[in-house]
Amino acid sequence: MKTDGLDKLLQDTLKAEVAASAERLSDMEKRVVMELGERCPRLRGFQWLGQLLAPTRGTRLGQIVVVGATAAIFLFVGLTLSDRVLPEGGAPQVSLQPLRSADGTQEVVFVWPAPLDAKTVAVVGNFNAWEGTDLSDPDGDGIWTTSIPLSPGRYEYAFIVDGRWQGHDPRADEVIQSFGEYSSVRYIGRGGDGV
Amino acid sequence: MISRIAFRFWMIVLLLVLPAVGVIAQIPLVEYEQALYSIPVFNPDFILSTIELGMTQGDFPAEPLLRLIDRLASHPAPSFEKEAILIVLAHALGDGFPIEGLINKASEGLARGVPLQQIEQGLLVRWSLLVLTREELLWSKGIFSAPAGLPQKMPTAIPMLRFNQLLIHISETIGDFLEGGGSPFEGHVLYQEVHKRLTMLQGVTLLPEDVELVLNRIEPSDLTQVALAAVS
Repeated sequence: MKTDGLDKLLQDTLKAEVAASAERLSDMEKRVVMELGERCPRLRGFQWLGQLLAPTRGTRLGQIVVVGATAAIFLFVGLTLSDRVLPEGGAPQVSLQPLRSADGTQEVVFVWPAPLDAKTVAVVGNFNAWEGTDLSDPDGDGIWTTSIPLSPGRYEYAFIVDGRWQGHDPRADEVIQSFGEYSSVRYIGRGGDGV
Repeated sequence: MISRIAFRFWMIVLLLVLPAVGVIAQIPLVEYEQALYSIPVFNPDFILSTIELGMTQGDFPAEPLLRLIDRLASHPAPSFEKEAILIVLAHALGDGFPIEGLINKASEGLARGVPLQQIEQGLLVRWSLLVLTREELLWSKGIFSAPAGLPQKMPTAIPMLRFNQLLIHISETIGDFLEGGGSPFEGHVLYQEVHKRLTMLQGVTLLPEDVELVLNRIEPSDLTQVALAAVS
């Protein structure tokens, strides 16, 4: 009997206390969420990037951003260094871009790397009736060049180095065989720029 | 009114002067005669008459031909071998074919020191390719050369100079292909070669509509037929 009386007393006391604080507990959840929200730290730059790269959120966008940024950095570094690495003088200043005149005629550059002890290099083709036009190598570096004005069209040619024919120009648009030997072909004009 | 009369006057003057300039720019026949005399050839009349005929064509390669005759004259080979080359050119010219490519081949052969008989054989193949290609274009494809100066009334009647350019490039591509060891039976490869060359020259020395016409009508089997006939 004593125990039952004690239990009842405890129950009544708890009910009375809960009823007294019910008003305070009613918006407890809302207040906890608000307080946690205020305590949550703001994302800084690298944290934002990390979140962007997170596999669960914005993965593709993140990859695109990283690839783009890397490309931009390489481009910037490349452009900056190119001015410093490439010599401004001393290197052969052979312009490979054809100079066009009003009638379409272009100054076409023919280049042939010959052995350093080569005495003569000439280019023959259907633009000079297969009679040689001499190439020159003023600085003696073995790169022989000449420039010939050519109107738009298709031209077959070969080089003659110290009397030996060299028909396989790596700069040609195509290579054909003629009388059992190679001849190079260059197209001048819209189809091929002869460069 | 006065300005219109003046304009007409100057146009007439221009029309009269231009042909005269063209005639003056042409190498006179006597120069070819002298060059042939220095070889000497046994039958100069035939060669000279075809040269005279060729002079009337708009794309007659006057300077390269004279230069070739001069080079042949200084060549140490017997004169009948030199004349044989000129006879091939004369026949092609007499049949109305463009001989620009043949002269180029002969000049290249001389520069490479190729024996004249071998050059002649090469020219005969190239000439036959010109003949066969023209026949293929005309009889199988209905593409033919229209007289120069007349307006083009149908798309397949191509003015002579334009037609000759097509003829040169198609036949030469087949010739280069065969000379490079290609088989006539590889029609598709041959077609690709023709396609590439014509496309590269489209808008350069060939009109796009002419290239389109030929590439639309010609097929690999046509080229195989021409190549086979040339080598057989």
